[in-house]
Amino acid sequence: MSAPTVHIVDDDAPFLAAISRLLRAHGFAVRTFSSADKFFAQREENAAGCVVADLQMPEMDGLELQAALARTRYPMPLLFLTGTGDIPSSVRAVRCGAEDFLEKLAPQEKLIAAVERALARDLRERRERARRHEVRNLFATLTPREIEVLSLVVRGKMNKQIAGELGIHERTVKLHRTAITTKLGVPSVAELTRLVQELESFPKRQ
Amino acid sequence: MSIVTILWPMVAAAALTLGTIQLLIWFQHREKWERVVFFLMSLATAGMALTELGMMTATTGAEFGFALRWNHVPVLLNFFAIVGFLLLHLRAGRVWLAVLAIGIRTVALVINFLLHPNINFREITGVRQVDFLGDQVSLAIGRPNPLMAFAQSALLVLLAFAIDVTVTVWRRGEKKRALLVGGSLVFFIVAGTIQAVLSHWGLVDVPAIGSVYFLGMIVVTTFDLSRGERRAAQLSGELAESEQRMTLAAEAANMGIWIRYLANSEIWASDQWRTLFGFAPEDSLDFEKVMGRLHPEDRESVRQSLDEAVARGGRYDAEFRLLLPDGGIRWISAHSRVESDEKGRPLLVRGASRDCTARKEAELETQLLRQEITHVGRVSMMGQLASALAHEINQPLGAILRNAEAAEIFMRHESPDLDEIRAILADIRRDDQRAGLVIERMRSLLKRHDLDTRPLAASELIAEVASLLRGDAAARRVNLEVAVFGNLPTVSGDRVHLQQVLLNLIINAMDALDGGPEISRCVTVTAHATDVGMIEIAVSDRGPGIPEDKLARVFDPFFTTKSAGMGMGLSISQTIVQSHGGRLWAENNPDGGATFRFTLPTSGNEVAP
Repeated sequence: MSAPTVHIVDDDAPFLAAISRLLRAHGFAVRTFSSADKFFAQREENAAGCVVADLQMPEMDGLELQAALARTRYPMPLLFLTGTGDIPSSVRAVRCGAEDFLEKLAPQEKLIAAVERALARDLRERRERARRHEVRNLFATLTPREIEVLSLVVRGKMNKQIAGELGIHERTVKLHRTAITTKLGVPSVAELTRLVQELESFPKRQ
Repeated sequence: MSIVTILWPMVAAAALTLGTIQLLIWFQHREKWERVVFFLMSLATAGMALTELGMMTATTGAEFGFALRWNHVPVLLNFFAIVGFLLLHLRAGRVWLAVLAIGIRTVALVINFLLHPNINFREITGVRQVDFLGDQVSLAIGRPNPLMAFAQSALLVLLAFAIDVTVTVWRRGEKKRALLVGGSLVFFIVAGTIQAVLSHWGLVDVPAIGSVYFLGMIVVTTFDLSRGERRAAQLSGELAESEQRMTLAAEAANMGIWIRYLANSEIWASDQWRTLFGFAPEDSLDFEKVMGRLHPEDRESVRQSLDEAVARGGRYDAEFRLLLPDGGIRWISAHSRVESDEKGRPLLVRGASRDCTARKEAELETQLLRQEITHVGRVSMMGQLASALAHEINQPLGAILRNAEAAEIFMRHESPDLDEIRAILADIRRDDQRAGLVIERMRSLLKRHDLDTRPLAASELIAEVASLLRGDAAARRVNLEVAVFGNLPTVSGDRVHLQQVLLNLIINAMDALDGGPEISRCVTVTAHATDVGMIEIAVSDRGPGIPEDKLARVFDPFFTTKSAGMGMGLSISQTIVQSHGGRLWAENNPDGGATFRFTLPTSGNEVAP
């Protein structure tokens, strides 16, 4: 995994150069894009980092970029810079999950703090995504019958009851349970239950 | 059975029937006492008819005398009734004549019962049969009593009273009534008197038939008494017609009619109204149910104004929104009137409601358009300019700031990258120039070479702005008058910029009228050609005017008298007019208020500003 990168999107070339200089001076890895289209075309998918975007841009503006980014498989935290901050846009931006909303003349400390917050959030979110991926992959190895058995086990049913409900032999239930604990790598029923709960807490849409 | 024994009871029955009808009417309208008097008249007439029948069918002198004696009782009663009726119903006649007639008749009645067999005869020796209406009826044989003349003199006094009443009513202007009631009364009294005198004195062989004359009077007075009823019948016909017309008008205007009874909060409403408010014809309505149909945002204000209207009485106009069951919005314009009883207590509210959604939407659209133009005028000229300026200038300033900050950090390194720092400094210099250019561009924005000048008709320009401001003016109860004199030559100008000048001046004028008396809330826009190839447009108000010491300063930037004003409108307006080669100035009117005038060169007469 490459180092977290600050992706800066702004149509104003001199400002783009200036802010990338400043962030590089603070030790951040930086990539610059002169439009939202170029950002989507050139960015490395699943790269770690965050986006710093100008709100007012020709063609796709900052808010549209934010919406498009949220729809991708690998969203990134985003913070806005604007020449003139107007309240409706800032409210909308923050409500849609923007990390921050800063004026272009905002104090350097505020800018740097916001970028650091965005990168930290990205790290957290990436870890969560990775964990989700891992858990989902674990469960994906189970057969449909094993999933049926598992759902009854976590509800506290005894092997005998499970056998009765599914109309199979108790011995077969035991075989399924052994397969499940081996595949998921968890020995106890308590651990198994916790893992299932974690899976169920994930957002459904992925 | 003889004809007389059929006719006379019929006379009695007819009189009683008519009398009873009036008595029944009196039961419903207790204040009409003449109807009770009328009933007495019919009762007396019936009594007369029956006693007359007794006389006509008498077989002995004693029987005749007895019937004649008792005939005097209903006659006196009739005197009371006729006099009372005339006094109460026609409100005319000298009371002393009435008292005299009744007095004589009362004395005559007393004498009648003191003498035997009655006041008319000293003695009745028998009866004789005469032909009457093809029948045989009895007449008395005996010696008449001269005192009978005294009793009959009362008829003459009554006649005098009736004539007096007739003349009074005639003079009052009710000629038809005088002729009908008075005239027929006089006629019947004269006829009755002559007939009674001739009959009782034995001058002609005719029985006493006074009841027939009195029945005549009853018929005539019935006709007069029923004037009210006939008028009511006519009115109800007219009412039905009028209701038809109202319904048609209400339907044509898509107007719903309703009545709210304050005592029980019940509401009656026409089908049209129910359709407007989204109720079915069979739904029962009450006030709260109707309030529930109002848009939640309008409900409380409407309730409050309604309460005030009920407390204050009089008329009330309102415009509000309905939230229909299907979620749609409908604008309603309602006009209503509070109706009170004699003591001023409100009884009901009557009203008409109309769908005004289309008008409201048009108003809102104009409002939006106006806001857009005002926005172009007030914001794009000032606010938007400032906002654009801020954005344009923050771009280079932001770049300069970030570059400088980066340079500071690079300088802290032990061996700073001087090439990098040189590049940064070059960028800073370039961005600084860029910021300067932004300001320069803003400054030149309103210069002449940016104007989109075309030939314009001043009257059109004024009409456009006036129509945009009509709604605003109406809402502020300002009368906006436009007077364009003559066929003006076209001017050369930028339509949008000149619209903004006019908008600005008219809105300022309306602002000046705020809080002033409604009668003088008038803004006048006039235009006329001056003799030097210019036209002059003037905007006058009847406000407080401009203090003399501030007259020269109103065009200074940031000079304002308004709490919310920026003080830029007149300054920008002056810049625009001057860039068109015209002049804008202010003056106070000799009779109050201020006038702002500006000139514009006519097409072909442009001069360099």
